[in-house]
Amino acid sequence: MCSQLTHSPSNKVCFYTFKIPEFTSFICICYSMSNNTNVIHVQVSSVGDAQRVPVHLMPCEIEHNGPAQVSQYFHATTKDRKQEMTVSFRGRALRGQELCCPQGYTGVVLKETIKPGSDQEDRTVMVTSVFDKMTYWNLETLPNPDDRVVMAMDWTELSEAIHGPVED
Amino acid sequence: MTAKKKRTPQVQSDSWVVIAADPVMDAQTHGSDPTFVRLRNPSTDAGSLYMLSSGDVQLYEVKAFEEEFHSWFVGQTVQRDGRLLFITQMDPLYLILPYLIKSGIEGKFQPVNQVVMDEEFPACSRLLSCTRSLGSLQHVAEEKEVGNLKFHRYSEEKTLSWLKKKVERTVAALKKRNISVGEGVKSTTYIRVKTESDHNEEDYLRYAHGLISEYISEDLSKALHKHLELPEITSPKETEPPSKKRKLSDKPVEAGEDYTKFNSADFVRKSAKKMTAAQKSLAKVDKTGMKPMSSFFSPKEGETKYWTSPPKRSEINPWKIPFVIPHVRAHNSSVEGVYC
Repeated sequence: MCSQLTHSPSNKVCFYTFKIPEFTSFICICYSMSNNTNVIHVQVSSVGDAQRVPVHLMPCEIEHNGPAQVSQYFHATTKDRKQEMTVSFRGRALRGQELCCPQGYTGVVLKETIKPGSDQEDRTVMVTSVFDKMTYWNLETLPNPDDRVVMAMDWTELSEAIHGPVED
Repeated sequence: MTAKKKRTPQVQSDSWVVIAADPVMDAQTHGSDPTFVRLRNPSTDAGSLYMLSSGDVQLYEVKAFEEEFHSWFVGQTVQRDGRLLFITQMDPLYLILPYLIKSGIEGKFQPVNQVVMDEEFPACSRLLSCTRSLGSLQHVAEEKEVGNLKFHRYSEEKTLSWLKKKVERTVAALKKRNISVGEGVKSTTYIRVKTESDHNEEDYLRYAHGLISEYISEDLSKALHKHLELPEITSPKETEPPSKKRKLSDKPVEAGEDYTKFNSADFVRKSAKKMTAAQKSLAKVDKTGMKPMSSFFSPKEGETKYWTSPPKRSEINPWKIPFVIPHVRAHNSSVEGVYC
């Protein structure tokens, strides 16, 4: 099933080995600009046309960007009574769980569909997909509250404390 | 399985998975679209990515949660870049403050629109349009009104008491996590604290100070440390130049479990060989059933999770505490040309 998922056989899948905090250098979103005056517009009106699609966070790096027959080959099954989900991917059993976006927040996928003609032009990204929950998958361990992506969702609340207005 | 694989270099991504505050994507309230802009990061002094809403009324911060070896399935597509971006509301005063401090050296009252100017980041003047900006200047500056004009002069005293309030709010938010867990209410997602007694006030303060320090200069962070009356911690790493503060990559890292059977030399390289005494003692702990992440940050098994548990003083220097939250980072553009 794997070769269908990623179109060309040269597309490789690397599973992660262990969970460590990645303290690599900061990376920008999509600025390839020599000056700081350019901006990226988010075309909010495209939200209306955006599709609600299943979103999966995979515990591996897949060296591919673009279409794949995900729904045809990636069948998650939910165990009775529990929220835990399982799926087979490349011969490995993944354990997954649904994760809701924090209250007051929406999941979106932004895509730059029109490439700018030059470095000097402002750029535009569209909202191509919307989601209010996603499924994250662990390679071996059962999903649990210690999973980093679960804790990452705490950021919204902490951020509100750091940035909310202070009283006099 | 084929022999050792090499990862192909990450190509520029044109698609991003984002969790955004609802107002960002609310089409009804917008006259025009929100925009990503680059502004000077008060902590690093370099450019970072922020977002301004329609009419510049609200500032947002853009941070990335990143774990290695992750990718997305979005509908019927694969997205190699496994980062998850967060767009959350930000207090514009953090970004205005460095300009006030700079002009404050002259000791004169000045109109703020003549102060918040930056040739390198011209968008910074838009910060003054944010609803909260002008009203909140009094937290960090003395005000004088002459006619209809207002003039401001930076006040460190006011700034420190403002920042102290920020720290207190953050402490409260950190504690709230524990309380909700202790009472066994709220979302089951947040059941994580097993013992809540072993966190004293100082630990909370230190942790919150670390979080706030992400938004202020190093000098101000040190002044705030003093203002909070946090005991000084001597660490050789404290003398590192600021640029090195931002990385923890040299920190010894040991795999919680041996997954190398899945893999090749690529991964073996990544685990550092040198271990501190604390790390060595950690390595001896029985790791069965233990989470690698929590073992990395907390020495005792079964202790509180790192998110709510500040690291023990002896193990980590206070200026690195912000990075205890490893996965949500400023979306910075200082390394253009890598993915950009």
